[in-house]
Amino acid sequence: MAKKELKTSSEVAPNLIPMVDIMFLLLLFFMLGADMGHRELEKVSLPLAKSIKEDKEVPGQRIDRLTINIYHRYESEIHCEAFSKLEVCRNDAHWRIGVKGHDYNQQEKLIKVLEEDSADYRDPSMGTLSKRKVMVRADASSPYGYVEDVMHACAAVGIYMIECGAARPVEG
Amino acid sequence: MAGSQNIGEESDNPVGINVTAMVDVIFCLCLFFMCSFQFKQLEGKIESWLPKGAAAAAASADQNVLEEIRIVMSYDGKSGATVRRVGNTAPAGSDGELMKRVLSLSADYEKLGKKDFPVLLEAARDVAWKDVVHVMDLLKQAKLERIEFAGGAKPAPKSS
Repeated sequence: MAKKELKTSSEVAPNLIPMVDIMFLLLLFFMLGADMGHRELEKVSLPLAKSIKEDKEVPGQRIDRLTINIYHRYESEIHCEAFSKLEVCRNDAHWRIGVKGHDYNQQEKLIKVLEEDSADYRDPSMGTLSKRKVMVRADASSPYGYVEDVMHACAAVGIYMIECGAARPVEG
Repeated sequence: MAGSQNIGEESDNPVGINVTAMVDVIFCLCLFFMCSFQFKQLEGKIESWLPKGAAAAAASADQNVLEEIRIVMSYDGKSGATVRRVGNTAPAGSDGELMKRVLSLSADYEKLGKKDFPVLLEAARDVAWKDVVHVMDLLKQAKLERIEFAGGAKPAPKSS
């Protein structure tokens, strides 16, 4: 009678294919969700408001407006005690007015860039007024003075349609 | 026998591909995107128009006329709070008190059949922007849609 030979060891090879599938799905999710193309928007903590109108983008149509950011210098550049405590920072050197990735803290430069931007939106029937819309995205901790500067610059070039950026508070 | 073989067995795929390197790379990519991922905050807007004429901006709180609804905001350095008043009245202690005064003025407009009247916001430069937005939010919630900003004098040009 032949003796049965017992196997003492066996190779365990995990099937990697389902894992690779899941990894690909995860990768796709994070890649599509990554927000990399928003150079126009600086990192700001918007003030909260319940009555905001949601920005509904029409598919295939860009929201036609200029965004002006009023943002605090980043923590990596400067440490601000008040700002880190989410209090109002009233230090003029800490704030920037940014348009499309460039800073325009000087009023004349801001007026110049707004003038160039709003030139195509002028309606002769409205005199010096421009139909250009401007969104002011100011940090909740910023003093109103910066928003006022932006509004003065807008008024100087005839822009009167101003939208103020705000975020909806989380309920509960 | 071929029929007894399971799907995905080694004999189906004689050329083995080493997937370990690919898994490594995908792990790294996944880690990168996971770390850089940020959930987007729901952003919106509050519409507010600047006065088209110079009259609204030029008028000050002292020259306030009865029909005008003007909310004046200033910063009290001692208490560190924002003081809000409607026209030349005493400071409003709460949101409710502020809105009560605003709504009583707006009721006068409505009695006269006027529906499209502006509410002017006049804030000092050092008032917190979030406080200004809070007042705008209160006005919008009370269906007062026409909010206009009234400024004082033009600011001096900044050197930096």
